[in-house]
Amino acid sequence: MSSSNASYTLRYFDIVGLAESSRILLTAAGVEWTDEHPEWPQEKPNQPHGRMPVLVEKSTDGSPDFVICESSNIERYLARTYGFLPADLKQAALQEQLRDLMSDVIALFTSQIQCKNEEDKAEFQTKFDGLLETLINIQTKLLKDNNNTGRLFGNKLSYADIVTYGFYMTMLVSFAGFKADIIDIIKPKLTPEIVKLISVVESDPLVVKHKSRGGSLAAIVSA
Amino acid sequence: MLSGSDTVYVLRYFDVIGRAEGCRLLLTAANASWTEEHPEWPAEKANQPFERLPVLVERSNGNEWILCESLTIERYLARVFGFMPTDLKQAALQEQMADQQADLLSAFFAQLTATGDMKPKQIDEFNTLFDRMVKEHGRILSRSSSKQHLFGDHLSYADISLYAFYKLFIVYLKCYQSDIAEIVKSKLTPKIINLILSIEKEPQLAPHFSKCDTMAAIFTAKDF
Repeated sequence: MSSSNASYTLRYFDIVGLAESSRILLTAAGVEWTDEHPEWPQEKPNQPHGRMPVLVEKSTDGSPDFVICESSNIERYLARTYGFLPADLKQAALQEQLRDLMSDVIALFTSQIQCKNEEDKAEFQTKFDGLLETLINIQTKLLKDNNNTGRLFGNKLSYADIVTYGFYMTMLVSFAGFKADIIDIIKPKLTPEIVKLISVVESDPLVVKHKSRGGSLAAIVSA
Repeated sequence: MLSGSDTVYVLRYFDVIGRAEGCRLLLTAANASWTEEHPEWPAEKANQPFERLPVLVERSNGNEWILCESLTIERYLARVFGFMPTDLKQAALQEQMADQQADLLSAFFAQLTATGDMKPKQIDEFNTLFDRMVKEHGRILSRSSSKQHLFGDHLSYADISLYAFYKLFIVYLKCYQSDIAEIVKSKLTPKIINLILSIEKEPQLAPHFSKCDTMAAIFTAKDF
């Protein structure tokens, strides 16, 4: 575990995008951190993979800062460092597989939006609908099996809870910019168990001080 | 090694390289007891936890445990069998390479299926990402103490993941796009080719090549 005087910079655009889960993890970890919005694309060559988000962990001993990228990698690193992912390999893997499934859903949405050909667009739409339904079923079952506490695993805020919240923030807030009616399409599909997770995460004492530029997701899904 | 000697694994996937090669290589390198299953598809779809493949089944002491999602399976196996560093920072540096490679695979399919004026844009994006990744691999390799491994002087998750990635692009994806192997080969530096072929020669991976060809024959003298 890192020392509690670690401090971080998260480089990303000034949007919800794919960074919200990382922002929430940093807040929940109780560490010092700031958002940085590099000039883009001027700063592209200065990022490890030419893309964002990028996490910089400021060095305290004069050695180079530790820099990593790839949104889900950043999330896993923070989650493991600050105890939101269990040390038990199986328990951690069961949480990670959910995040990877959510990445697949996001990828299908992006493919569908980028498609100009109507036939391919329809095919991606069908795949997206199907996988989103699969995801919602899996999440709902886990929540029900965990006594419908609004937590996917155990009895405290976990990586899985945070990245699930971040996923719905991406889908309902970020993607509304690409597809204006996304909230009307997805909201009815959300089960009460998922709505409760969103509310429980947002109001968790570790998270409640996080002011998302996307506003209150809990308000959006329960309106 | 964290798994008992009576633990056996089943990897469920299609009978293709696809997205499972990293898992296959990890199980082989670990000298784990494992078999592969090719479920009837789509008949067996509903019987998988995420209705997709690959799926890893771990059986030990009469218990069965199941994991989905190719990259999660890879990271889990890499940790169980000691191919992932225990230091979280070192692990993150290896994991981000695998995530970058997954982005490249997505970019490949995006340029393959793009039409109209999106096609040249997506092709350009794919090439840019690929070239940047090769540069990054070269940078990591130049800092490595060994030119046969990306990190340290032992076979690591990053090495296995990189090998699986290049095998995917050079041997498998031609079934989608006939010229992709030549395109990718032309982007590789001699040092990266040497790395690929060195990983292939690792004794721990030898059993893998009883079932398939090495890539050594694919790279000729003019590629170096």
